[in-house]
Amino acid sequence: MSELLVRNGYVYDPLNRINGEKMDIAIRNGIVVDDVGSSAKLVDASGMIVMPGGVDIHSHIAGSKVNLARMIRPEDHERDVESRTSITRAGVGRSIPSTFTTGYRYARMGYTTVFEPATPPMKTRHTHEELNDTPMIDKGCFPLLGNNWFVMDYLREGKLEECAAYVAWMLKATKGYAIKLVNPGGVEAWGWGKYLTGLDDPVPRFDITPREIVRGLCKINTYLNLPHPIHVHTNDLARAGNYETTIKTMDCVRDLYHGGKPIIHITHVQFTGRSGTDWINVASGAPEIADYVNKHEHVDIDIGQIIFTDTTTMTADGSFQFLLHLISGNKWANTDVEAETGGGIVPFHYKKSNYVNCIQWGIGLELALMIKDPWRVQMTTDHPNAGPFTEYPRIIAWLMSREARGRVARKLNKSAHRRLDVPGLDREYSFYEIAIATRAATAKTLGLKQKGHLGLGADGDISIYAIDPTTINPSRQYKLVRRAFRKAVYTIKEGKILVKNGEVVDTVPGKTFWVDPKVPQDTYEKMLSNLERKFEDYYTMQMSNYPIGEEYLLASKKIETVAGS
Amino acid sequence: MKEITFRLKRPLKVPVDASCISPDILGDKTNEEILSFELWEGNRKIHLSDIFTVEGDAHTSSDDLEIRLVGDMKKVRRIGRGMMTGSIEVKGDVGMHLGEEMASGRIIVNGNAGSWVGSRMKGGSIEIHGNAGDFVGSAYRGSRNGMKDGSIVIEGNAGAEIGCWMRGGLVRVKGKTGTFPGVHMSNGTVLVEGDCEGRAGAQMTGGKVVVLGSLPSILPSFVFEEIRDKVKVTEEKLSGPFYTFLGDVNENGSGRLSVKVSSNPQLKWCESYVETLED
Amino acid sequence: MTALSEKIISDVVCTICGTGCDDLQIRIKDGKIIEAKNACAVSISKFLEQHAQRYSSPMIRRDGELKCASFDEAVCKAATILSESRYPILLGWSLTSAEATCIGVELAELVGGVVDNNTGFCHGPGLIGAQDIGVSTCTLGEVRHRADVVVYWGANPIHAHPRHIARYTVLSKGRFREGRKERKMIVVDVRKTDTARMADLFIQIEPNGDYELLSALRMAVKGEELEQQVIAGVSSERIEELADLLVRCEFGIIFYGVGLTMSRGKSRNLDAALSLVRDLNRSTKFLIMPMRGHFNVCGANEVTSWITGYPYAVDLSRGYPFYNPGETSAVDILSRRECDSALVISSDPVSHLPYSVAKYLSEIPLVTIDPHVTATTMVSDVAFPTAIMGIEASGSLYRMDGVVLECKKLLDPPQSVKSDVDVLRAILDRVKSLKGA
Repeated sequence: MSELLVRNGYVYDPLNRINGEKMDIAIRNGIVVDDVGSSAKLVDASGMIVMPGGVDIHSHIAGSKVNLARMIRPEDHERDVESRTSITRAGVGRSIPSTFTTGYRYARMGYTTVFEPATPPMKTRHTHEELNDTPMIDKGCFPLLGNNWFVMDYLREGKLEECAAYVAWMLKATKGYAIKLVNPGGVEAWGWGKYLTGLDDPVPRFDITPREIVRGLCKINTYLNLPHPIHVHTNDLARAGNYETTIKTMDCVRDLYHGGKPIIHITHVQFTGRSGTDWINVASGAPEIADYVNKHEHVDIDIGQIIFTDTTTMTADGSFQFLLHLISGNKWANTDVEAETGGGIVPFHYKKSNYVNCIQWGIGLELALMIKDPWRVQMTTDHPNAGPFTEYPRIIAWLMSREARGRVARKLNKSAHRRLDVPGLDREYSFYEIAIATRAATAKTLGLKQKGHLGLGADGDISIYAIDPTTINPSRQYKLVRRAFRKAVYTIKEGKILVKNGEVVDTVPGKTFWVDPKVPQDTYEKMLSNLERKFEDYYTMQMSNYPIGEEYLLASKKIETVAGS
Repeated sequence: MKEITFRLKRPLKVPVDASCISPDILGDKTNEEILSFELWEGNRKIHLSDIFTVEGDAHTSSDDLEIRLVGDMKKVRRIGRGMMTGSIEVKGDVGMHLGEEMASGRIIVNGNAGSWVGSRMKGGSIEIHGNAGDFVGSAYRGSRNGMKDGSIVIEGNAGAEIGCWMRGGLVRVKGKTGTFPGVHMSNGTVLVEGDCEGRAGAQMTGGKVVVLGSLPSILPSFVFEEIRDKVKVTEEKLSGPFYTFLGDVNENGSGRLSVKVSSNPQLKWCESYVETLED
Repeated sequence: MTALSEKIISDVVCTICGTGCDDLQIRIKDGKIIEAKNACAVSISKFLEQHAQRYSSPMIRRDGELKCASFDEAVCKAATILSESRYPILLGWSLTSAEATCIGVELAELVGGVVDNNTGFCHGPGLIGAQDIGVSTCTLGEVRHRADVVVYWGANPIHAHPRHIARYTVLSKGRFREGRKERKMIVVDVRKTDTARMADLFIQIEPNGDYELLSALRMAVKGEELEQQVIAGVSSERIEELADLLVRCEFGIIFYGVGLTMSRGKSRNLDAALSLVRDLNRSTKFLIMPMRGHFNVCGANEVTSWITGYPYAVDLSRGYPFYNPGETSAVDILSRRECDSALVISSDPVSHLPYSVAKYLSEIPLVTIDPHVTATTMVSDVAFPTAIMGIEASGSLYRMDGVVLECKKLLDPPQSVKSDVDVLRAILDRVKSLKGA
């Protein structure tokens, strides 16, 4: 029996409405409990901030396109290496770190749960092999279903329940956690090198529109009682002004909302939050999007904030990636997956001298500052698309300090500076709100009941930072804040101290979360026989070889749901 | 100038990473301090004293320091890496990555050099009195940041892909080269005084490749431009005449490939294009 | 109902080449494989001759001769050799499971050596080319469903990947393509191979002329005029004809083999091919894929990449990964006689690499891990017999398009023979205790 007591820290636990209260947190056998015995290991958090371990809802860390990016960007890794120690494995970093390094770097920042947001189902065995080699964090992955042939066929035919049974089968077969849509319908069009425009452009040879795909999967998501809403990367990413498509996507499921938690999560909205008609007059569509989100509770988002640095874009949105290659002239990889999805990779350097990049930088922050409900706007960089996850502390500083934002804003391309609202925005996040944006809200929208908080029964995942909230003014002392969030004084995972003063002192493999929804037996069997008939037609793989067994995961954590009601 | 001489005291088998051997790092140190510097020999960390004896005195500022190395240094890599001042002379053969990322100063090798001489160089000069390997002045894998400035002169022959992704400066080979000199270059000059095995200037977008010896053929993505009497290489004007081609068209390039007429009778076919232009 | 001593296992994954067929039906009787349905001619012999060239006891060289030893003794000796080396290389990995390669990379890291796989002397140029240009690719089913133009360049699938054409390309039936009549097959090769005989268009190229031909093709695709009449033995008219076919197709793909990767130019040949495919995407949908030969060389690349950041030729001697083919590739290290010991797994470099390399391998302390007795086994200092992956041991493999397949264990290996994973783990654990980790 192992016991740990974190003493005397200033605790921020928004899910339990604790806002900087000085209190102790007790952990026994990896779970938060009321109290522990006198022989418990003591961690002195006096004068420091204590938060639940960070929960990252969207970060490309594992799988075939992430690994292809690693393979084709040796120059990304060359200068950022990690030597082997007695506790840690060797590895490389920068924008596409190797798997072990990924785990260590998250842990050093106090993160304890991370989700890979886009795995091509047919290749998800690969994703899990990489996640198995990503220690320190609990994890999961979202299978891509928005361009899936079975899904599109079912939805076109109006067979919603059978489609739901198929989605249930897919989640179990891939050991996936949530339904992911990327450029729904558009990636199938890209299979032919073609593009769709907006939500109502029909997918070539499939006679279904993106709107129908989004709505269909949204209904299925609700029906299956999945813990997380549909996770959507909207259409028109490559269009200069695309914020309208984002709002239309949010709106297209509004009538399906009947109260309670959001039913659609739009991801990295910065990338699809632009206004304007071309790249010369592109501007921020954040005010319009924020206005919509403020007025409609069925949506939550994550921002995908830009960092001015050399990074790597990688997404299932193959059509966008090709256009980015044409614009930038950088190397380009494309990875289409039969009957399911696509992908693309292009290195990219965001520069303060570049008008569009500056607008993009502004959009992310404007979203975070203009959306009033901190529970529905979460902090990400869509790692590594808008920037490496190791730069989260920089964003935290920007959110908490107008001055920190201003220092960057003054160096921006002048035209961009003139057109953005962000230089004039006063709002500064509190530590409580930061805890929401980086832990509590992400855990809540993911439906992870034991994460993102420190109430009784929660997983004992804790991060402790060297900031005394009673003496530090984050608005002025943002550099201290940034430094503190870069290196946790302690990162504790299930009651085990993994990081001390920013250094890894112990490792754990971490668990993989996945969802197993139960659907009515007769519908399931009907779906299965249809699947068996069509599988060999659609795939170059036998159906019996497709599903991934639970024993494949290093440490499996199944979440069961029951469809209906 | 103060000199310090390292003499190799035993044969080497596994590779040695000697990136500490540069005037910037060793300048203004006592001999004792120098000998205790660490370097990698395979997977073991050793001291300089394990493989070198030291004579002379390094106790001077880096820009005043000349480091001399004596012995067969074929296995010794990264000598002069990133150096910004002073000079290095190697009496013997030297290993890979000589002068990698060098910014200033001078390196002379009285012997042969391994591959990646002056890779990613930003300035300074390197002279190899023997032969060099492949990838002289090149970028690292996956990167476009080849040599930016400075000069590399090879008295003997060089291998393939010299000046790969080059962005400026001069690579001059007095002997022969392998294939693909100047591949992907965007600026700078590659001069091959001897014969070139082929594929000169492949995928270049700018800069100059000049071949005084024979070049078996011109890539189909180069278009004949003119016959020039002279071609300028840094400050020197080389006498031709030269067949000059523009390319690489596949990369929308505006680089120039100049090949000496007298060494290349097999390229006479392009003279028919001269008449066409005159028409 | 089959007799107790006979069983049929379906959907078996073949472990020969990168085609990754997973529809084999294996019949086993009395502990032996007697039938392999759907297996091609190359594959059948592997399954039916599973017992050939096997040995059952680890061996250690004593007084110049390989003699039987206990597993523990052999593990101890292997661990000692590797942990005392100053620059060991760990080579092979292409015919074993991804799980085994994971352990292998950890072992290389622990002993401070170089981990490399067959890529270095096979398809490395494709990876190096992709590092400069990128790569437009897909899974094999995309070809089956959509391709109306299929090019085989420097590859002879009829012999090297026998089921490739029927399963995935020209003869296959996809959702949007009926089959042969809706597809055009183009072959580019130095001679008229059996695959070329099937083609609608065969381009015979001068040996080592690939770079020039690709350069000319790129020009033609861009609509630029070719000044030279004949390039790499191919007339400019023919080149323009080919370019036209490529540009006008709806979905095209180039499958390339060692004819392209290993002929003069190597990675620059691939640079040109990848650039051509990239250029074609301005007009149409075009992709490219390497015809990987070994069934899990792709897996070796993937595992090595996710753990170290680099796909092969990874030098871990200074405690962190460093990649530079030509410097850190095993063949080059062996040619320069730089390593002081080697571990070779599921590979036979003594048979396949140049004589000087083979000779050097026989001079240094050498550990081999292989199901079969090979020429490399015969010059080893320690040899471990192991279970055949995909027959006697389970594990995952990566097909040429990166799709992962899980191989089943069909029957037990010969008595006391362990899996690659077990052998490597034992050596790893022993090295850890020797190093006091």
